[in-house]
Amino acid sequence: MKHHVKNNRFPFRQLIILLLILQYGNVGYGQEEEFDLGAYRVRFSVQTTKNPDQTRTFGVEYYVQNKKDRKDRIPVKDAEIIFYNSTENEEVKLGSASTDVEGVAELNVPDSQKYMTDEEGLINVEARFEGSADLKNQTESVTFKDLFLKLELEEIDSVKTVTVRAFTLDSLQNEIPEDDIDVIVSVGGMLSRMPIEEETTDEGSFEIEFPDDIRGDKDGNFKVFAFVDDSDDFGTVLASEDSDWGVFDDISKPPKNELWTEAAPIWMYVVLTILLVGVWANYVYTLIKLRSISKST
Amino acid sequence: MADSNPIKINKEFVRILEDKKSVSRGWMWFFGLVILVGLVAFVMQVVYGHEVTGMRDNVVWGVYIINFIFFVGVSYSGAFISGILHFFDTPWKSAVARIVEIITVLSLVIGPIFILLCIGRLDRLHYLFIYPRIQSPITWDVIAIITDLVGCFIYLYLTFIPDFAILRDNEDLNVAPWRKKMYRFLAINYKDTPEQKATLKKITRTMSAMIIAMAIVAYTVLAWIFSLTLQPGWNSTIFAPYFIIAGLYSGVGVIIICMFLIRKYLRLEHYIRKVHFVGAGIILLILALLFGYFTFSEYFARWFSHKTNDINLLDTLFDDYFWQFIFANYIGGLVPAIILFFKRFRTINFITFAAVIAVLGLWLNRYLIVVPTLETPYLPIQDTRPEFIHYTATWVEWALSFAGIAAFCLMFMLLIRFVPVIPVSELHEDMTNAKKKAQIKANKK
Repeated sequence: MKHHVKNNRFPFRQLIILLLILQYGNVGYGQEEEFDLGAYRVRFSVQTTKNPDQTRTFGVEYYVQNKKDRKDRIPVKDAEIIFYNSTENEEVKLGSASTDVEGVAELNVPDSQKYMTDEEGLINVEARFEGSADLKNQTESVTFKDLFLKLELEEIDSVKTVTVRAFTLDSLQNEIPEDDIDVIVSVGGMLSRMPIEEETTDEGSFEIEFPDDIRGDKDGNFKVFAFVDDSDDFGTVLASEDSDWGVFDDISKPPKNELWTEAAPIWMYVVLTILLVGVWANYVYTLIKLRSISKST
Repeated sequence: MADSNPIKINKEFVRILEDKKSVSRGWMWFFGLVILVGLVAFVMQVVYGHEVTGMRDNVVWGVYIINFIFFVGVSYSGAFISGILHFFDTPWKSAVARIVEIITVLSLVIGPIFILLCIGRLDRLHYLFIYPRIQSPITWDVIAIITDLVGCFIYLYLTFIPDFAILRDNEDLNVAPWRKKMYRFLAINYKDTPEQKATLKKITRTMSAMIIAMAIVAYTVLAWIFSLTLQPGWNSTIFAPYFIIAGLYSGVGVIIICMFLIRKYLRLEHYIRKVHFVGAGIILLILALLFGYFTFSEYFARWFSHKTNDINLLDTLFDDYFWQFIFANYIGGLVPAIILFFKRFRTINFITFAAVIAVLGLWLNRYLIVVPTLETPYLPIQDTRPEFIHYTATWVEWALSFAGIAAFCLMFMLLIRFVPVIPVSELHEDMTNAKKKAQIKANKK
């Protein structure tokens, strides 16, 4: 009987192991024979980000996505992506980068880089993957205008004011204000930026009143950011300025009488004292009365 | 019907106090033996540490804390019921009041011992008093238990005084001289004068009101130890009233069982009558329904909210603890309710059976509140041995648990050999009142 049970269990275990392999196996780990690439759609996209120091980052996200189950996404890693600045007639190689485990490849281009533009002043950057034994070649491009964001922090009549200007440069390096651009003003944090306000440029600029309760680091410093988030015309553009508008000192005083401090909230002492004094006073009263009983005849 | 002659009443209870050859002696040896085994287990635990228990890093609370909650719950419910009996001068209080009071005090003595067994570093116990943290429910609980224990002792003593006086004045009482001296000392010159009687009644009544409030506050604080944490299964706004109802439920169950045993073994059928069992049974029925209502609300809300950790807990309860869950929450609540709902089942035996089911169900209910929650923490337990994840009580824990029950029974038996298990003074008073009423009726005619 026992032997029979054992025989029944054995394939069950194997089945679990097989299911686990299917669940956790991916393209790069010897599962090529079982992996049906036809069931997946290739996703290859390119973005550009202009950094506060005027350098530019080109990023490619490369993954395959199950046609039926869109949650089933498998990143393509170790794929070499080459970036070109191209016009109708010529192209210049900007550099190359390989995708990481997340399927992301990033190329940082210094601010000294001169980009070729078309007659409208648009820059075109093409990202190419040459293909491999399993994956076809991929090409994707991003076209954008070089936008400049300038951030000024100033106290006007004791009001902390942030001024944002957005402009492009013409061929003679003259500033051309850009209207109707959505810009988010935020402050830097430990993990991510905290948005303060979103505003649209009017005649190339806008002003906002900055809140006076941002704490900042131990010296009251923090970074203020203005950024255009993944615009069709400009990509992502970031600008930043250091600020000493923080009010960190306000919390440097240790809190008192809280649930988490050494001393409890005052009401807790009051309630506990009333309760205990009330109860123990009654005990004492009872004992006094008992004494009076013992003394009476 | 209770005896209507004071001399006969005195003799009846003197018989129990003088009894030296009763069957209770055998039971006392048995309980003593169980306590001895418990002491051996305790020594092992002190020498080898908590390694000899089933408690580990994840499940840090086991049957000790469950016994603690159970005994303290029985005590608070006893205090609550006793307070009600005295405060409202309930007609049949004389039959059960003393039993309830003894249960109250003994449970409150035994219960906290289990919490001491649970503590890994007993050498640091005094830190609780040296560095108390007023914001901590543990501190509130320590304060509440100490205050309640002192209050219960005073209250119990107040109800004993008239009986001590009767025993002191009873010249026929054939007990050891030290006991007579003790009765004289504890009777504090009480002569049952109208003035003394009035004073004693007044302070007993005040203490009974205080004991009711204390029971509610103290058991609420105990429930807060769990519900003020964020643990799945514990973090509930209805935990305090749920604990109070469950405590009352188990407490009434224990009272009924004690009434049954005392009635049977001390042959007090004249005093503890069916009417008392039916009264207690109806209270048990109401509490069973309330317990069922709270239990359903508690688990239904968890199931309906569908929070991941709550669902994990419910999965654990329905997978690993299926039968325990069924017994604790279905059989433990429904069976007593069904038995007590039908008038034909309201016999002494059936009511006691329902009480036994309720008490067992409630103990298991406490187990299911404590252990499965600790086995289903917020952070998944990984890379550890199964015995570190799943809790199983060891023989050491069971030995100490049974030693606690044995100590309760032994102390109960010793106490009812020292003082009458039914307040003789109140029987006298009942009899005097009945005579007065009869006289008034006769005069009217």
